[in-house]
Amino acid sequence: MKNILIISGSGGQGVMSIGITFAQSAVKAEKFATFMPLYGPEQRGGSAKCTVIVSDEEIISPLPSKCDTLIAMNEQSLKKFLGELAPGGTLIINSSRVTSPVNREDLRIISLPADDIALKVGSAKIANVPMIGAFLGYTNALDSEIFLNTLTEKFASKPPQIIEMNQQAFQEGFAVGQAAKANA
Amino acid sequence: MSKQLMKGCEAVAEAAVRAGCRFFAGYPITPQNEIPEYMSSRLPEVGGTFVQGESEIASINMVYGASATGTRAMTSSSSPGISLKTEGISYLAGALLPAVIVNVSRGGPGLGSIQPAQSDYLQATKAPGHGGFHTLVFAPSTLQEAVDLTYEAFDYAERDRCPVMILMDGCLGSIMESVSLPAMKDPAEFEETKWAVGYNGQSRPTRIITSIYPELVLENNNKARVETYARWAKEDAKAEELLLDDAQYVVVAYGIAARVAKQAVLALRAKGIKIGMIRPITLYPFPKQSFAKLNSANVKAIIDIEMTIPAQMEEDIALATHCAIPIHSYGRSGGNLLDDDGVRQAIEKIVGGEA
Repeated sequence: MKNILIISGSGGQGVMSIGITFAQSAVKAEKFATFMPLYGPEQRGGSAKCTVIVSDEEIISPLPSKCDTLIAMNEQSLKKFLGELAPGGTLIINSSRVTSPVNREDLRIISLPADDIALKVGSAKIANVPMIGAFLGYTNALDSEIFLNTLTEKFASKPPQIIEMNQQAFQEGFAVGQAAKANA
Repeated sequence: MSKQLMKGCEAVAEAAVRAGCRFFAGYPITPQNEIPEYMSSRLPEVGGTFVQGESEIASINMVYGASATGTRAMTSSSSPGISLKTEGISYLAGALLPAVIVNVSRGGPGLGSIQPAQSDYLQATKAPGHGGFHTLVFAPSTLQEAVDLTYEAFDYAERDRCPVMILMDGCLGSIMESVSLPAMKDPAEFEETKWAVGYNGQSRPTRIITSIYPELVLENNNKARVETYARWAKEDAKAEELLLDDAQYVVVAYGIAARVAKQAVLALRAKGIKIGMIRPITLYPFPKQSFAKLNSANVKAIIDIEMTIPAQMEEDIALATHCAIPIHSYGRSGGNLLDDDGVRQAIEKIVGGEA
């Protein structure tokens, strides 16, 4: 099985860090993974995109033309990268920031207010976490336990409430993904 | 050793440290900043020295100085920065000093684009500095290969007392993949470099490192280069060959382009097209041996895929095939990356005779 995921948003939304955590988790699960970032010269506010490929077999090209899933953290990135989502693909939208309608009929769309979820559990900075949660809840691309372990290790030196907050944000997103799967 | 997910630049830097590199000087430029960043904390841990120079030119000359003492030394930069280093690279070659130079290349010419590109083939293989010399040029395609080639590059550099270049584009510099890292070498166990400044054994005169010589000495050094380059061509040229036996079309690509091209070749094979591939691993020496195997009666066309426009490797392919096989090319440039569909469709067009 091979899954091509694009995560996109603006600099500072955690696009790269969540992509790396996902790729690290895939390697832990003994899968092949490539993480390919693409960003402009800006430190914050510019467009940020990463392509993560996770596969049971060796990955030949890390530069696919289309992805299976697109995570759009904001309006601008949805517009910019929607064309790279394959027909029949899955679009995961941060509805806290994306308000305009998606004019494609050939997609499965999962929508969740990631900024609001993040704020509710304690930090506006972790809107990336419910988004990846929804992805893993919907796709089975990876065992969610393995991802959560990697996330926990990442924050090992931080106070326990940081880990708890991230886990909570993940579970909220994961539930949205699972519900979408049940309705599919 | 188990595999770990690493970023290209960091993997290359760690491979250098494990190969015994104990001096690094560099100056920031995207997309290779993670190499100096990594070295700045890693080298002090192993008793090495990291310097952020005041410029590219200062940095390459610091590498010259460190190398003259027999220390394994490295610098890295990206395209415009490599141009600035070329004077120093020529001096290293002139002074018969080993060094490893990594070019994580980006779009050009000029300040170009910070996005990845393979636009420095001609510079790397034909004129990495003034004076008419070559360096070995290694072009990894995966991070594992980047690690392995960087690790070996220091041995090659010392063997022939010359600079060795690792040419990898910004994709390979910033991509993360699993790598297994080679064993840590201990520089204390290296054989003493008898040519280095400070070597005082065997009652020989103190060696003077210079790149200016009396005419006779300079010409003799240049004649020795002819022999070295002939030996490289014979013994050190490397390429990966794929599905060549019955191939009517042969794709040629190196580095990141080769991965995209390989995916296309496999997809087209599955459709019944007799297509194969040659992937140069050493760009200098160019792997002519692989091209010598091609029979112009069977091979209808060669398709050169590079992430640059105009194609640069085409001239070497023409030389290696004695212009006996038509060559087509496809590329992207200016910070636009090659992608799977684009490359496959371009090859299909050429095979279908539309291009």
